[in-house]
Amino acid sequence: MTKIRIACALLLFVFLSPNRAYPDVAGAKKEGRVTIYGSLETSTMNLLEKLFKQKYGVDIDYWWGSSTKVTDRITTEFRAGKQLFDVTLNHRPLLKIMKKEGIVGKLNSPAFKFFPAEVFDSEVGPAYRNVVIGIIYNESHIKPADAPKSYEDLLAPKWKGKFVMADPTRHTTTTQWLASMPKIMGKEKADRYIKGLAAQRPVLADSITPASQKILTGEVPIGFAFTKYIAIYGKEGAKLDYVKVEKMLGDGQYMGISSKPQHPNAAQLFIDFFLSDEGMKILADVGETVTRKGVYPAYKDADKIKFMDVDELDEAGFAAKSKEYKDIFLK
Amino acid sequence: MTAPVRRFVQPVYLLYICAGLCLAFISLYPTFFLFYGSVRSAPLGVAGHLSASNYIRVYSDPETYKLVANTLIFAAGASGLSVIFALALAWITVRTNAPFRGLLELTAVIPNIMPSLLVAISWVLLLNPTNGIVNQLSLSLFGLAPFNIYGIPGLIFVESLVLSPLAYLIIAAALRGMDPSLEESAKTSGSNELGVALRITFPLIRPAVLAAATLNFVRAAESFDTPAIIALPARIELFTTKMFREAIGSFPTNHNLAATYGVGLVALVFVFVYLYRRFTAEVERFATVTGKGFRPHQIDLRGWKYLASLTALSILVLMVILPFLTLVLVSLMPFYQTLSRAALEALTLRHYVNLFQDDRIYSAFRNSLFLAITGATVCILFAAMISYLTVKTKVIGRGLLEALAFIPWAFPGTALAIGILWAYINFPIPIYATLWILMVAYITRYLPYGLRAVSSVIVQIHKDLEEASATCGAGLWTTLRRILFPLMRPGIVAGWIILATFFIREFSCSIFLYSPGAEPLGPLIYFYYEEGSFGAMAGVGVMTMLVSVLLVAATRGLTKGRAIA
Repeated sequence: MTKIRIACALLLFVFLSPNRAYPDVAGAKKEGRVTIYGSLETSTMNLLEKLFKQKYGVDIDYWWGSSTKVTDRITTEFRAGKQLFDVTLNHRPLLKIMKKEGIVGKLNSPAFKFFPAEVFDSEVGPAYRNVVIGIIYNESHIKPADAPKSYEDLLAPKWKGKFVMADPTRHTTTTQWLASMPKIMGKEKADRYIKGLAAQRPVLADSITPASQKILTGEVPIGFAFTKYIAIYGKEGAKLDYVKVEKMLGDGQYMGISSKPQHPNAAQLFIDFFLSDEGMKILADVGETVTRKGVYPAYKDADKIKFMDVDELDEAGFAAKSKEYKDIFLK
Repeated sequence: MTAPVRRFVQPVYLLYICAGLCLAFISLYPTFFLFYGSVRSAPLGVAGHLSASNYIRVYSDPETYKLVANTLIFAAGASGLSVIFALALAWITVRTNAPFRGLLELTAVIPNIMPSLLVAISWVLLLNPTNGIVNQLSLSLFGLAPFNIYGIPGLIFVESLVLSPLAYLIIAAALRGMDPSLEESAKTSGSNELGVALRITFPLIRPAVLAAATLNFVRAAESFDTPAIIALPARIELFTTKMFREAIGSFPTNHNLAATYGVGLVALVFVFVYLYRRFTAEVERFATVTGKGFRPHQIDLRGWKYLASLTALSILVLMVILPFLTLVLVSLMPFYQTLSRAALEALTLRHYVNLFQDDRIYSAFRNSLFLAITGATVCILFAAMISYLTVKTKVIGRGLLEALAFIPWAFPGTALAIGILWAYINFPIPIYATLWILMVAYITRYLPYGLRAVSSVIVQIHKDLEEASATCGAGLWTTLRRILFPLMRPGIVAGWIILATFFIREFSCSIFLYSPGAEPLGPLIYFYYEEGSFGAMAGVGVMTMLVSVLLVAATRGLTKGRAIA
């Protein structure tokens, strides 16, 4: 009898725990809203919000910023004793820092089983999308037959000064991306390749969005950018394609739940909805390379991309790589 | 009651104490947090100690001095060019008989409502060396693509266009409020129109010109919008770009370093405030609004009047028409692309239709309008009070008020936002995560703009008028209400318009302080830009400008006829 009582108490505890995996939909409706701070594009969040509200009658208050800004806001609020966010969509290293400080709690969801083991991080859970960086070109200016067929093809003299990339001395994702090149081509070849890229005097943009804009407008019709733009702008009639190489690098994006959510039920309901087939399809539809099994972004051969996560760099690692690239790209 | 006590219970001293306390609070409270942050080894809320390490890091880096030099060249160039544009425009539209001057005058105010981010983007679309529209046209006509926006000259040019409308409003207000008797005396003494303009008119409006130049110098020095679009790709390092990249845009964020750069800019700006106060110390020299009735006469340019209109129109084409048309074009494109037949065939109104379907856009417009109307009203009334105390009274320590108002002005918006965030996040009145923190931030940051607009008019009001009022037995309140306030009205209206148009599109503080549910237009436009949704961004931008034009037109309509003639 005592064992049954303990089991019941445990079940009750699990059921009442704010981070339980099975949310109380009625409770979420009563809470009325969920506050999310994240780096996912607002246009995509608008689509999610529409369906989420339609299904559950719960509003989403979304604060968008770069991962750095999102983390900055969350930590500043936390240090002032105000944890206003419920869920954050963020980078792994930043989530780990927040986990260490007790700002985010343990993430759980019944949807986890639909994600492959290799996208799971032991501390922060699964990456829900990979922001893949590839060689993108504008078909109005470059015929597919004339486009490069491999990374190395960009080192041909005809592309000298004719392609664009984010400045690796300024843009942290690009710093990480270049530093992770050995993962796909080995260290020696990667070192030679990076020096070769720098010697080609590429047009350097402040970040990947302006780089992709230059490709889109034809100002610089080829360069390194996120593959998702092919689907996003393709829907509007832009003729963009990417160079199909065997392996591509990208940045994994994760999510975290507040250790003290203001709206615990709504937060859990959102996490489950977001990671569900329905939620992930919304992301895939706008070109995001989501990681849920069987859901692929809406551009050609996306299911064949062999994606590899970029290596994390700590502060000293960033400084060292940034200096290294400054010496070769900006000399 | 002793004499000193009696002095402090006089209405003017009570006003001074109230204004001083309010100003000291809104100005010093966040500044204290920023300064404190600059001398700490860790962010606020985290264990740390007092340390000079941030200052050592910033000022032992030789690159810092290069950045300061670049910033000074950029700010001086942009400010100087903006004043030249504004002076030419203001003189032609206010003082001459050039045809269409009413229309030109209205057009000159429009760029003040164009978000500067959008102006910079428009000019990149027009003048980028590869496929800029102007270069493309020139290439097809003359076989040359001569322009390259990515350089210091391009940066100065675009920023000066962004800054010109503010200078125009200040200088035009001063020109309108001038006493013609001095000019008439010069003409009676045999001086020609040019001689009058050079020897009488321009010296008389010198405080307004200096005010505009000082304002624009500091505005350019702390500007990030245009540098973000032009200086970063051109690899030109300015103080703000370096600060943004290394302190705020870096990983991990270093607020303490940001605060240290901010304190450096405060020192720089204080030098300019001191210089400005020296220039305008002898206010009597500039007093031109006397008790006599006046109406500045219009200069007959005879045959030259068409050339004057053409000159003003050329400036306006650069300031307004070209960037605006580019923006409209981008707002009609499904996605941002080079101008071609295919692009023209694909034009769509989709982004405008979306404006009326998206709750988020509606909510941003509502929030920004509230902030613009309420915030600008509170701010300009406060500015008028401070301006009166600093310029028109002999209250001890009146200079302190102006110095206090200028402190937050010296901080780049993002750095000030950090100070405000630290200051108000745990404030007993819970304004954090509401629209009210944005209002406090806007008033704190933009008060000097209101102050300059009102001061440039108030220095021209001769003290005879107040003395006459006092002689007739009127008290402080009656003199303010019956004499000074009506005479200050052109400056107050100009200041209100400047502030309202700033507030409706404010970006740099808002991006850091807004909360979900209290989102204004500035961050919304920026998100679209960051996401590469240029069409949506341009659509919201054009609609923001339209709303601002209606706001300005309504204000001018309401105040028309009440302004001093």
